[in-house]
Amino acid sequence: MTASTTPPLDRLRLELRGHPASGLRRGRRAGRLYAALGAAAIVAGWQLLSLVVNPAIMASPVDTAKALGTLALDGTLSTHLLITLKRLVIGLSLGAVTGLVLGVVAGLQPRLRSFLEPLRWVGMTTPAVIIAVLAMLWFGLGDVSVIFIVAVIIVPVMFVNSVAGILSIDSRLVEMGEVYRFSRRLLLTEVYLPGIGSHVMAGLTLATGVAVRAVVLGEVLGAMDGIGYAFSRAMSYLETPELFAWVVVLLALMGALDFGVLRPLTRRTMHWREGTNK
Amino acid sequence: MVPGALTLIALEHVSKAFGTLEVLDDLSLQVDEGQIVAIVGPSGVGKTTILKLIAGIVLPDAGRMSVVGAPLAYVFQEPRLLPWRTAADNVAAPLRAQGMDRTEARAAAGRWLGRVGLEGFEHFYPAKLSGGMAQRVSIARALAVGPRVLLLDEPFGNVDVDLRASVMAILQEMIGERAVTAVHVTHDLIEALQLADRIVELALNHPPRELDLSDRKTVAMDWISKTLGGLAT
Repeated sequence: MTASTTPPLDRLRLELRGHPASGLRRGRRAGRLYAALGAAAIVAGWQLLSLVVNPAIMASPVDTAKALGTLALDGTLSTHLLITLKRLVIGLSLGAVTGLVLGVVAGLQPRLRSFLEPLRWVGMTTPAVIIAVLAMLWFGLGDVSVIFIVAVIIVPVMFVNSVAGILSIDSRLVEMGEVYRFSRRLLLTEVYLPGIGSHVMAGLTLATGVAVRAVVLGEVLGAMDGIGYAFSRAMSYLETPELFAWVVVLLALMGALDFGVLRPLTRRTMHWREGTNK
Repeated sequence: MVPGALTLIALEHVSKAFGTLEVLDDLSLQVDEGQIVAIVGPSGVGKTTILKLIAGIVLPDAGRMSVVGAPLAYVFQEPRLLPWRTAADNVAAPLRAQGMDRTEARAAAGRWLGRVGLEGFEHFYPAKLSGGMAQRVSIARALAVGPRVLLLDEPFGNVDVDLRASVMAILQEMIGERAVTAVHVTHDLIEALQLADRIVELALNHPPRELDLSDRKTVAMDWISKTLGGLAT
């Protein structure tokens, strides 16, 4: 059988490969439009509220924007943002990698999974503020304390998702690998790790949101710099527009991580669901 | 059995149960090198279990067995393709397990995909392949490893009727070319007659028996009339 005798149905499938997506793009554009309208509605509602509420407890969008501008111009924004980002990236990386590795191994080894279950339970049920207080007790104020808080809170999230991913792998694929004498390394790289992609990305997305909250909590309680510290300081001095400005910065940070990192990474990881590699 | 031939697969008084369900009871089967043995019978008699025993996926509860033959390849009932790998990478994976490097394995995979009529589909993921196309990728994967023992579990189940003849011809050519020893499980006796040197019939109501293939046409006609018997009345 050669390309010239490729069956008509297969040739048709080849041709359809280049066919433009019909309603799919239109649907996505409409979705983005409604999302933008939703965001505008939030800002509009915020503005309306700020007209009737005491400005000491709610700054208007305009005052918030002015405060944001001041923070940006005098370098305060970038200073604290970079510190927080550094702690977030290190803590999230440590927690995610630890959770992923432990989760994959536990997923493959039932006895280890049982052994780690009490620790997983402790990690998931201990309130974040308790972990923060313990971190301060053990490590004092500063980077180590905050990074520790983030990592410890993230590990169980990634662990649970990784275990679930391993357990969801189709056993028939593992069987195929065993029949063809895949080495352990090949089973891991061709079957298990790619197979848990969706679970890992879901876990990472959840973990990132949790990590941002954890880093802010850590900085509010146990640091002398970073966004959480700046937020706490603004609250102490009742600088409400600056306080709201830091909230906006946090939301923007989360948005940048979500849209700039996590979604593209998820699309890249899961592109096989959509079709060709070209 | 062929005198002087090397026995590659030997099952002696093998039994296998899954829980309380006894699937195989005291089964003996020998397959010599170069033979194609078809195992036919209705669903549930243990045909696939025999293949799994030979492949080493399951172990017998009783009896002895030996399989001399590497590499071994298996065309499963369903394609069992890695969804996150392209058609070419699915065919290449067992070649890499044999020690071939990725580039060489992909090149070989491309050639084998062409041989099963899938030239141009190397970069397609399984989600974009029809059931028949996916099964052909599975067949290409099995043939690409250059198997000494080839296990076929209803390999044409998902293949379009008009393609079945050409894929069957490819299998016959490959098996003949490389003197592959094959065990072919099917419920379709006509399919078995086209490929097999020997046919073993399994049934729930009698012990395994080997069919006399001295007159294949008569065997085929008997089976067709038995199958269509209900339609004729």
